[in-house]
Amino acid sequence: MPTTLHTAKLRTALKHQADRSSRKLRKNHPHAVSFLEKRGITPTTLRQHAAAVAATGALASAMLLTPPLVQQVRSATSAIAQLTTEQLQQRLTTELTNVLPKEMALLTPEQEQQISNVIDRLWGIRAVAELDSERLNRSYGLIGAEQHLPRFPGDTVDQHDEPQGEGITPGLGAWGYFAPSKQSLTQDLIDKEKWYVAVQTLYLPDWNTRFRYLRDWYKYRKVLVVNPASGKTVVADVADAGPANWTGKHYGGSPEVMAYLGLNVGMQKGPVMLFFVDDPDNEVPLGPVEYNFKIK
Amino acid sequence: MAQLFYDHLIVIEEVTAVLDEHKLTANERAEFLHLIDQTLHHEILDTIFTHLPKDKHEVFLTKFHLAPHDVKLLEFLQEAISIDIEKEILKTANKVKRRAMSSIQKAGNAKK
Repeated sequence: MPTTLHTAKLRTALKHQADRSSRKLRKNHPHAVSFLEKRGITPTTLRQHAAAVAATGALASAMLLTPPLVQQVRSATSAIAQLTTEQLQQRLTTELTNVLPKEMALLTPEQEQQISNVIDRLWGIRAVAELDSERLNRSYGLIGAEQHLPRFPGDTVDQHDEPQGEGITPGLGAWGYFAPSKQSLTQDLIDKEKWYVAVQTLYLPDWNTRFRYLRDWYKYRKVLVVNPASGKTVVADVADAGPANWTGKHYGGSPEVMAYLGLNVGMQKGPVMLFFVDDPDNEVPLGPVEYNFKIK
Repeated sequence: MAQLFYDHLIVIEEVTAVLDEHKLTANERAEFLHLIDQTLHHEILDTIFTHLPKDKHEVFLTKFHLAPHDVKLLEFLQEAISIDIEKEILKTANKVKRRAMSSIQKAGNAKK
């Protein structure tokens, strides 16, 4: 007869094993991980890639009919380098239309992988729905407008950049002040507040059992937020938790994030994709993405 | 059809059998198997690159990327590596499976 399992305990143990093995591979063979990642594959998505190759019968065509891989990459890269920001956004919108479900729904791993590949190709940024074996409950959802967050004790809205109309929250963000005082506020921390998002960490199935680890993992975690309707894309960081489920929204965006995405009008909310930026060397800056990062 | 050239060495059914002894939702079952699958990929790739001579890494990666299921990849590895790599992959897979099954067993004994 089937018995009940302590699922939270098992989830923690298996995630720990996956995370430890991932770090070991990355540490021992960084060139191999990098090779695969440049082609939109991580060990995490390996099986999806393999399934896609098998399904399309790409083996024969890839080996017999197409030019060598290096040549393909070069020609695709040079074509993208000639596109303006608006053309890149337009192309992103078109390609996402083919992948995203018609109605707001959870994305399948295959859809997430396809989106990661599109983003990597067009923006040159490695963005994934699952990183270090961690993932949010959804990678596609509604984002709503948030207020500015207090960055240090005594911070006021008029000390923030425009837009200031949303005001400043009376309480602190989920990770407290960005700096202990105004004097210790750095440009990096200013940017972190400016381009922040709130995500629903509180609803993660293992938030309570792995609280300390997850709290640190999510703090200022870099994410890529894409408005699929316009192709506007911004690199943001996680600096608050929420919104509550009853709001019907899944993410919150700072006034700057919402303004750039063009979602600070009307109901001040809209559908976005939110993926983690895989940026171990902290090379991808926060803020709007308007060119292919790898080509510059 | 196997999706990865080393799938036949893994025999994941041993783990699913242990997992299926417990009441799980379809989502939970899929999530746990996905995590175990990830660990297997990480560990098996680590084993392969540890034993494969450095100058063969790029050739292998290119072949693997283009055809992850191609059984000839194992032949390529066997020719390039002096030790029995199939045995090493098997050992690694068994180690990961044992660890996963032990975690399942512990979670089964734990009080909620």
